Amino acid sequence: MNEELTIKRDRMRFTKNTLSSTLAILAIVFDVFYFINIYKSDVGHSVGNFYYQSRIGVSIVYNLVFMLAAFLASEGVKNYRKEYCWVLLVIGVLQIVRIFILPAQASAAEVTIGGVTTKVMESPQHVRVTIYLLLSAAGCIAGGVIGAIRCRELSEHLASIGEKA
Amino acid sequence: MAELSLQHIDKIYDNNVQAVFDFNLDARDGEFIVLVGPSGCGKSTTLRMVAGLEDISAGKLILDGRDITQTPAKDRDMAMVFQSYALYGHMTIYENMAFSLTLRKENPNVIHKKVLAAAEILGLTEQLNKKPSQLSGGQRQRVAMGRSIVRNPKLFLFDEPLSNLDAKLRGATRREILLLHKRLGATMLYVTHDQTEALTLADRIVCMSMGHVQQIGTPLELYDSPANLFVASFIGLPPMNFFTATVRDGYLEGKGFRAALNEEEKGVLLPYAGKEIELGVRPEDVILGDDVAMNIFSNENLGMNTLVHGHIGGGDKISAKLRGWYDYKNGDCANVAFARKHFFDKETTQAIRKGATT
Repeated sequence: MNEELTIKRDRMRFTKNTLSSTLAILAIVFDVFYFINIYKSDVGHSVGNFYYQSRIGVSIVYNLVFMLAAFLASEGVKNYRKEYCWVLLVIGVLQIVRIFILPAQASAAEVTIGGVTTKVMESPQHVRVTIYLLLSAAGCIAGGVIGAIRCRELSEHLASIGEKA
Repeated sequence: MAELSLQHIDKIYDNNVQAVFDFNLDARDGEFIVLVGPSGCGKSTTLRMVAGLEDISAGKLILDGRDITQTPAKDRDMAMVFQSYALYGHMTIYENMAFSLTLRKENPNVIHKKVLAAAEILGLTEQLNKKPSQLSGGQRQRVAMGRSIVRNPKLFLFDEPLSNLDAKLRGATRREILLLHKRLGATMLYVTHDQTEALTLADRIVCMSMGHVQQIGTPLELYDSPANLFVASFIGLPPMNFFTATVRDGYLEGKGFRAALNEEEKGVLLPYAGKEIELGVRPEDVILGDDVAMNIFSNENLGMNTLVHGHIGGGDKISAKLRGWYDYKNGDCANVAFARKHFFDKETTQAIRKGATT
C-alpha cells in the first residue's frame, strides 16, 4: 500500500467522517422539501378528501421518524459506526419506496370539482416531489455506502497498526 | 530559524500614553529571549508589537533582514502562545492543532504528518481525540504550543504561558518548554513577570520597567552584575537587601553597621570616598561573621537553608539565607557579614563599576 493511502487512512483515526454525515443531513433537508410540497395540490383546496385520511397521519409520523433516524445516523457515521451506515442504507431504500406510495397514488387519483374531473397531483408537482425523494434517498444511500467503506478501511488500518477500533 | 531585530521601538497609544520607550534588541538565530518585568512595564506590549497585534509608533522591526514593521500579523510567519491557551472548545486536540494549516489549505496528509510529529514531541499522542475540556491546564498549554509548532514559524512568541498553571505544573511545563527549545532550535521571545522562569529559560533576559529596558544580558549577568537598583531588586529571590552607606577609610559605614572593603572594592569606590552610596547585598551573600549585628524577628527553615529576617542597628530590614538549619527565636541576635557587595550610585541608581566616576 502506498504511503499516501496509509496516511489518508491514518487520518481517519482523528478526523470525523463529515462527508457521510453531511450527506445524511442533506437527505433530511430534501425530505423536508418533499414534506412541505406533498400536501399542497396544484388543483386547489378541494382535494382534501384525498389527503385527509389516515394516510396523512402515517405520512407525517414517518417523516418525523425518518428525520430522527437520519439525524442519529448522521452522528453515528460521523464517528465511523458501521451499524449506522446500515440505518442510512435502509432509510434510503425506503425513501425510494415512498415514491410509489403517496406521490404515485396522488398522481393517479382524480377529483371532480363542479362537474370537472382533475388530477389530484399534476405532473410538475409529481416530478418535483419525486426528485426530492430521490435526492433524499441518494443522500442516505451515498452516505451509508461511503460510511461503510470508510469504516472498513479504518478497521483494517487499526488492525494493521495493532489498535482497537 | 530567524534573527529578530528591534530598533528604537516606541509605543504611544492614542491617548498619548507611552508604553514603550526606545526598545532595542537583537535576537540571534535560535536564541531564547525572555522579557521580564513587573506588570505594566511594557513587555507584553512589546511582544504584541512584534506579533503585529499592536502598531509600532516609531522604530523598525527587522526579521531575517526584512523590514516587517508594517507587515500584517498574518504575514509575519510568527506563532504566538497565549496565557489563556485560546483553544477551540468544540474541536478535538487534533483539529485544534491542525486548524491553522487547514485554513492555509495545506494538503491534509501533510497536515496529518505535522500534527502527529508535534504531538509526539509534546507527548500528546494519546490525547489527540479528546476535547480541550478533558485536558489539564498543562496539557492545554502544550496543545497551544503544538498549534504553534505545526506551523513551523520563524519565531515563537510566548505571552506569559504558564501564568494559569499551579506551581508544580508550572515547573514541569517550564522544563518542557526548555526541552522544546533545545529540540527545535527556534528563536523564541517569551514574556513573563516571574523571574524564576526568566532565569531558568533564557539565553538572554531583557529586564524592563516603566517601558524602559533596564538591562539586557544573560541570567548570570543580571544576577551577578545588575545594571541598576531596579534590576538588583527585581532579580533574585528573596530580593536583595539595600542599605545606605558612606565610603570612609576603607570601610562602608551605615546605620548600625561598619563593613570592611577589600582591595578591589576600595578601588571601585575610590571616586565615592566620603559620599553616600546604596549598598546591595543578596540574602545568600549574608553569612555569619562580625560586620553587622542582626536582631532576628523571623526564622524560616527551608530544608537545606534557613531564611532569617531581622533588623540591623539603624532599623533597616535585612534577610539572610543561611546555609544549614538554624533555629533562631524572635529577639535573638546574630552577627553577620557581607560576603559579596553590590554598589549603586545613590543619585543615578546605576551600578558602580570599576573605573566609574561620580
